[in-house]
Amino acid sequence: MIDVTSPADPADGLAAVVALRRLAEQLEAAEVERAMREGWSWPEVAEALGITRQAVHKKHAKRLIAAGVELRRR
Amino acid sequence: MFNKFTVEARAAVGDAVEIARDLGATSVEAEHLLLAVSRGSDPTARVLADAGLDFDGLCAALVAETTRSLAAVGVTADVMHFTPFTERPKLATSAKLALERALRAAIADDDKRLTARHLVLGTLRATTGTVPRALDCAGVDRAELISALSA
Repeated sequence: MIDVTSPADPADGLAAVVALRRLAEQLEAAEVERAMREGWSWPEVAEALGITRQAVHKKHAKRLIAAGVELRRR
Repeated sequence: MFNKFTVEARAAVGDAVEIARDLGATSVEAEHLLLAVSRGSDPTARVLADAGLDFDGLCAALVAETTRSLAAVGVTADVMHFTPFTERPKLATSAKLALERALRAAIADDDKRLTARHLVLGTLRATTGTVPRALDCAGVDRAELISALSA
């Protein structure tokens, strides 16, 4: 379990927000790539992330194609 | 505004975009400008290196800052591996602020050109955010570094 505690200094709390946003972005990039390499479809990844298929495709398709990942059409 | 940049300063802004993309970032932040100058050809890079902030030193300081900020809310994370985005990352607010402050530093110097040194001063004049926190993690005195750059 992640124990999210409130830091004493707001400077640390605000910096944590920045670091968590960055972490979430990187985790999304890594996990979408892993799922697509394992043969997930765009609609499946989109639904798992709670976003539209268009959004996930627009954000990640180019880099995965550039990396030579074999993408399922549906 | 960009035609008043020195060759080194303009190269640093371009390299900052590449660094941001290579690091998997979706936008260019102030720390990417600093990283770019640190691996550039401008003499300012030597002043940074003397303070322990060569490219690798800065990278280590930024990783330490992330680790510390996440630890403040009880989170630990490994380094993520993924294929970087192909799109050109856009300048984020922290980078725009650094450029504004760099321009102000150039004006204060009565300099008609914005140099790589001004860019670095622009990033160092932030009192809050990732850059000052990373310097803190590296044990670098921000005020002393600003003086060293102004000498």
